[in-house]
Amino acid sequence: MSQIRLGLDGKQIEVEPHTTLLQAAHQHGIEIPTLCHDDRLDPYGGCRLCLVEVDGAPRPVAACKTVCADNMTVRTHSDDLHRLRRTMLDMLMAEHYEDVGVKPNQLQELAAEHQLVQPSLKLGRRAAYDDRNQWIGFNPGACIMCDRCVRYCDEVMQCSALEHVGQGVGAVVQPTGRKSFLDTSCELCGGCVSTCPTGALYEKQAIVKRGEEVVLGGGGPIADAECEKTRSVCTFCGVGCVLDLNTKDGKVVKVTSDIGVGPNEGNLCNKGKFAFEFIHHSDRLTEPLVRGADGELHVTSWDDALQKVAAGMNGVKQRSGPDAIGFLASSRCTNEDVYIVQKIARAAIGTNNVHSCAAT
Amino acid sequence: MTNSIAEIEDADCMFVIGSNTTEAHPVIALRMKKALRRGAKLLVADPRKTWLARHADLHLQLTPGTDIPLLCGMAYVILEEGLQDQNYIDNLTENFDEFAAAVNEWPPERAAKVCGVPAGMIREAARIYATTERAGIYYTLGITEHICGVDNVRALSNLALITGHIGRESAGVNPLRGQNNVQGCNDMGNNPTYLPGYQAVDNADELRKFSDAWGSELSSVPGLRLDQMMAGMHDDSVKCFYIMGEDPIISEPNLSHVEKGFAKLDFVVCQDIFLTETARKYADVVLPSSCFAEKSGTFTNSERRVQRVRRSVDPPGNARTDLRILLDVARALGHDFGEENPRAIWDEVAALSPKFSGIHYARIEEVGLQWPCPDVDHPGTKFLHEGAPIRGKGLLYAVDHVPPGEEPCAEYPVLLTTGRTLYHYNAATMTMRSPGNVEKQSLPFVEISPDDARDLGVVEGQALQMESRRGQVEVLAQITDRVHPGVVWMGMHYAEARANLLTSDAKDPEIGVPEYKVTAVRLHPAG
Repeated sequence: MSQIRLGLDGKQIEVEPHTTLLQAAHQHGIEIPTLCHDDRLDPYGGCRLCLVEVDGAPRPVAACKTVCADNMTVRTHSDDLHRLRRTMLDMLMAEHYEDVGVKPNQLQELAAEHQLVQPSLKLGRRAAYDDRNQWIGFNPGACIMCDRCVRYCDEVMQCSALEHVGQGVGAVVQPTGRKSFLDTSCELCGGCVSTCPTGALYEKQAIVKRGEEVVLGGGGPIADAECEKTRSVCTFCGVGCVLDLNTKDGKVVKVTSDIGVGPNEGNLCNKGKFAFEFIHHSDRLTEPLVRGADGELHVTSWDDALQKVAAGMNGVKQRSGPDAIGFLASSRCTNEDVYIVQKIARAAIGTNNVHSCAAT
Repeated sequence: MTNSIAEIEDADCMFVIGSNTTEAHPVIALRMKKALRRGAKLLVADPRKTWLARHADLHLQLTPGTDIPLLCGMAYVILEEGLQDQNYIDNLTENFDEFAAAVNEWPPERAAKVCGVPAGMIREAARIYATTERAGIYYTLGITEHICGVDNVRALSNLALITGHIGRESAGVNPLRGQNNVQGCNDMGNNPTYLPGYQAVDNADELRKFSDAWGSELSSVPGLRLDQMMAGMHDDSVKCFYIMGEDPIISEPNLSHVEKGFAKLDFVVCQDIFLTETARKYADVVLPSSCFAEKSGTFTNSERRVQRVRRSVDPPGNARTDLRILLDVARALGHDFGEENPRAIWDEVAALSPKFSGIHYARIEEVGLQWPCPDVDHPGTKFLHEGAPIRGKGLLYAVDHVPPGEEPCAEYPVLLTTGRTLYHYNAATMTMRSPGNVEKQSLPFVEISPDDARDLGVVEGQALQMESRRGQVEVLAQITDRVHPGVVWMGMHYAEARANLLTSDAKDPEIGVPEYKVTAVRLHPAG
């Protein structure tokens, strides 16, 4: 099929058939504000922030739902559009209570970009929602009903564990049947959190200090801005999900993944997203140990431990030969780590007895 | 995987066999769900009614250990109905006649009697798979952890070859790897017969290259596989283990026997982040190491993509990075392998391994590269076998049914099969320390059919004693139609109910992979 030609902000461009105006703008480096859009979801057209002007059209159209057509002339930014978007944001900010949820968030950032300091009005506030699960926090008071979470759960996870119920005054997003996340079909993947633009859904802080005591799980929201992010790869299965370890005060406090990134496109499962408490668990080994004459393991220095490792292995090698020594490399470690394991086996000990559970 | 993860969503037919993808590889399953929304056909072969099975066009609910009859039955239909890609077979495969003769033994009606899948369903599955151009096969340990694991894989590869469903976008044979760097661990030569980059220890030229590069004369004698090392403890040929991040007295089959072997060893080193059972009971020295968040380097995922791992926090207390520990161990043994610099070590790997030569940290800071990647201008390889199989011609194998190492009998009438759940991971040393995972799933359970539960007189949540010829565990009954009568399933994650006390050390004769997926057991209410 031939390319579609159109005018975008005074520039003639060509795009593939079926490209939306939002995608075309993105491909040409033009940012159009959106709130209800996530590339992982079907176009929705709910928030109306991506409204653009198309010559000849009787009213502005949503860029996320409008497919490019030949000879269209499109303006993505104008004073009128700016005012229109500011009005939309003003309405959304009316129902968004800033004292709950994560701040800053995408909605608040867009409001600031549109010079919206104080919303024109504040009305009723949605009832709070308390949930006993350790991972996902939900503050309906911050929600703007964009349904990104509900749509993620339906379209991407296909779990349908969240629902948009009621109309008008009584409309609310909630876990299906207003049950706990633990008692629905929810798989605790945190995809709803990753797509929420208001911080209404958030990661409960994994490590909470209560006085001197450090408690795992169940804490309050922690904004991205408070954390330092380090891009890495998940430690669980072999999919290789790219994620960001969010650290604060030398601890991993949450895990996020940017939309579209990695083989996972920003999606994670419950383990990659939330099961990282083991990193700072008090059961972690912190000192080298050697077995004493009493048969128990005792703390020792690194020098002593390393010397005992060398002496023990050299002893077996002398008595029984290098092939009496076997190495089990870990499929959890890095390539660089395990390269050195087999190099020790082969070059330092002199055996090819090196394997791992990669055998299966 | 011969294909890439992203290609899954463009498949028009997905044949998922021996993989509970939504629980074991949830994020790969998202691509499958995307394809389903697009209208792709889904065929699922699994003893359990998994999420994918419930959403499949056809659920081939076979008896554990009968994959070959099922797959040969499908091949039979393809040949009988002329659905094969004759052009591909004629030009790009070999050994067709021997293969066809073996398949000829398995009309679907005979296959049905062995595998329990109705013949009509086998026929329909064969037609859908063969006549859909973008048809991909996805499997995992449900295929490999059998006494005939290698032949199971061959039977799958046969199907792909006779239909030409290989070497193209979204069409291929795709094992989904179970651990973050199980691919890389093998790629790096942690294998008794292969040096890094799949260069054989008994290939004189390749061995010479490594001997020269490392300044040591290396042994050309292939080493022992994992299962052979385990056996070697008993005949005193293995006297010492250096174990990194593994807990063999939990993860190996027939555990009671394994522990007897460990008790005989002269010297054991465990390098780990937790005090594993193996370390607690048998280690002479325990070295505290680092988890993924505390180190830098690379992991290689299931689609052969080498991706950067970056340190974000320090190891706790006096724990050290694995790399530093290993380099210090080498030094204590009199060998200087250089400084703790993952980039330099990767460059050494790349220089010695043509498959990875083109991959350097500078190229993978943003997005990882898929090997083979032979030079720095190479974009990496999205899918394998493009144009023709890498070995020139695809080898068709004559395979035949191999009954499991043990089958149900009067004494042990039920088939136990094992696997991973959504909320836990392997020996669960990490996930059992996460309150959220424990909250969702903390106690060992066994999935049992309503019929079997009624026969045993047990109710939901009641404790059951499950025994095999080797050991016994106590588990809670979870009554569900996910399993057929006569088959039960349990997770392998529980320290207090180690599935591997039950499993046998029957194994594939070619590669030694244990038959974790089929164990004959008997059950009765506990207490």
